[in-house]
Amino acid sequence: MPDINWALIGIAVSAGAVLLFRTWRSTFPAILFNYVCVALFMAQQQFLPANLTILGFGFSTVVLVKLITGFAVTAILLLTALTFSRDYGLEDLDEFGLAELRRAARAAQRQPTVFRPGDYLLPLLAGGLALLTSLALPRLYPIASIQAVDFAWYWLAFTGLLTLATANDLPKIGLGLLLCTSSIDLLYTALAQDVSVVAILFISLSTILLALMIAYLSGLLYGRLKTLELSELYRR
Amino acid sequence: MLYLLTILFPIAIAASCFILRTYTRLSIAIAGGAVLTLAFLVAQIPIDDPARFLGVTLILSQLGRVFLFLFLAVIAIALFACWHLPHGENFVPVVLLVLAQICAILLLQDPFLVSLLLIGAGLAAVLAIVDLPTGSGVLLGTRVIASALKYLVLTMIAGMLMYLGFVLADVYELGQLPGRIPLTRFVLALIGAGFALRLALIPFHSWLPDLVEDASPLVSALIVAVINTTSLLMLILSFQRFPILISENAFGLQVIQTIGLITALLGSLLALVQPSLRRGLAYLLIYDAGMVLFGVCSINQLGLAGALFHTISQIAVVMLLFVALAQLEQPDGRTPGVVRRDLLRRWPIAGVCFLAGGLALLGVPPFSGFVGKYLIYQAAAQQGPWYLALLVASSVIATLALLRLAREWLLGPAEELPVEEPLMLGETELDRPAVRRLAPEPRSTAFLTMGLVTLCLVLGLYPLPLLDLISDVVRSLTFIRAL
Repeated sequence: MPDINWALIGIAVSAGAVLLFRTWRSTFPAILFNYVCVALFMAQQQFLPANLTILGFGFSTVVLVKLITGFAVTAILLLTALTFSRDYGLEDLDEFGLAELRRAARAAQRQPTVFRPGDYLLPLLAGGLALLTSLALPRLYPIASIQAVDFAWYWLAFTGLLTLATANDLPKIGLGLLLCTSSIDLLYTALAQDVSVVAILFISLSTILLALMIAYLSGLLYGRLKTLELSELYRR
Repeated sequence: MLYLLTILFPIAIAASCFILRTYTRLSIAIAGGAVLTLAFLVAQIPIDDPARFLGVTLILSQLGRVFLFLFLAVIAIALFACWHLPHGENFVPVVLLVLAQICAILLLQDPFLVSLLLIGAGLAAVLAIVDLPTGSGVLLGTRVIASALKYLVLTMIAGMLMYLGFVLADVYELGQLPGRIPLTRFVLALIGAGFALRLALIPFHSWLPDLVEDASPLVSALIVAVINTTSLLMLILSFQRFPILISENAFGLQVIQTIGLITALLGSLLALVQPSLRRGLAYLLIYDAGMVLFGVCSINQLGLAGALFHTISQIAVVMLLFVALAQLEQPDGRTPGVVRRDLLRRWPIAGVCFLAGGLALLGVPPFSGFVGKYLIYQAAAQQGPWYLALLVASSVIATLALLRLAREWLLGPAEELPVEEPLMLGETELDRPAVRRLAPEPRSTAFLTMGLVTLCLVLGLYPLPLLDLISDVVRSLTFIRAL
């Protein structure tokens, strides 16, 4: 029986969950799990020499940095999500602004919250398409020398792009971008013979900045429309 | 040490300005002082004297120094302009943060790290787009959030495409192909698409009109004059770093050049039918980006010198246009919420400067844009008469678009002229409401815009010193010599 690569399965399942599910309560834990799986995958593939031992496992410091970045990103998004319900800056607004906010709150309350299976059809089809493409491309156009690495980065890139394309709310757009970043980061770590410390620093900083910006825009959008739905943003 | 100071000093000052952001003028003054100090620091850095830090080489080339001084000048102008013009609470810290990243880009010159830094600069710019002035009593418009989101997504995608392209270019010996991928073509396609998104080339342009329409003019100026120009510079440096990308890829280069040509043509055509002054200006900028890209991708000394000259001219012109636009859109003491078509009469200096900026952008003599455009036309003529004809046609259409903008929003008949009415029975002069006096044009903005127009004229009438410097720089580019 062939060895099962659990880290790779974890990457596939967690990125698929980000693509498929609609609420942040499901997608934020999924992205955290994805970062953990990517770190495990990097450690398992031994792209970089291990220079750190934790619980008997040899890790590279770079893998640890990526794991910490993943935790930081999830914490930023989670803290933003938990404080969405808080209003801010109301004392500065004039009466027109306050009236508009009340209208937005009423409109947001009217939005249906029932479960509709149809909403999941498009992401599901997109996921199937991404899976087929990610299985085929490592054979047709291999970039890395290991097929598992090619599958992982192709899968992360395609699920990221399709998450962007099928996103219904703003945090999900952020998650799509984070998956794409993670994909290119994995490819760079796998291919580069000598991973530059400055490059790792910039990649991690960019990822955290992206999470901060998504959190900031989500806060602004929620503060303005009392919803994170993109359909509401483009309706007005 | 100087290299690190040049990068870290603006970050430290940005943090200070962020803390002091409610004291608007104090933070502008501090930032202005920081820009002057930075100019002094940059002047101290020796040319082509590399230094190593954490495994990365830092070096300032002659081209880098010219552009670094130009960007410092742009930031100084933006800070001076925001003394009187409306701007967001975090504009000053964001400007400094972007400046720090631009300094790092020009000093590092490593395409792979640069793509990451460009992402960082784009993310900082998003913060400025959704910014409101201190203590603002109005809500942030949903269109502004939508524009910021679009810019964020496209910036990230552009950055990732470049990032992927440079990873592949860095890791593989180009030409030794893994599997069946023609790698030079694939990498050029990735990098080309990334830069096309960055420079708002058609069909990747949709973010720019939205941004110009919804963001504050000073923020648009920062993005177009600083971040986009740096991107263009990085495209040239990428060719310098990986000459094989163009030497073995004539078809790919021709495709990118054609995209430049189509952008110039469609940008000018679309500028002709825009419903607002801002959107019209945005499409003129898109037309201009297409022209510059055409010059860069002609890969000969004429085209590249023209593109570089025009890029330098464009920095001044973009600042002029957006500062004048911000002044034209100031509340003017008349009934708000009415579309005005007599802006030249209401703000004569800003109106005239806006028109002068538009003419400079289109390359009409005697403004600075003419020299760069003329060289680009010459490069096009060398490639074939059709190229020249299409570029000239796009410029003519762009001129018509500018004339339409002027007619629609600037040169209309004066509105709300005071009507002389006879006194009614029993009425005296004292019973009448006081004659409304409209505020005059702010002197600082007027001086600034007039100074920029003068600069455009001087560069247009006496281009030789700058042209000589650019010719030296172009000659030193190895990929030009190799081709």
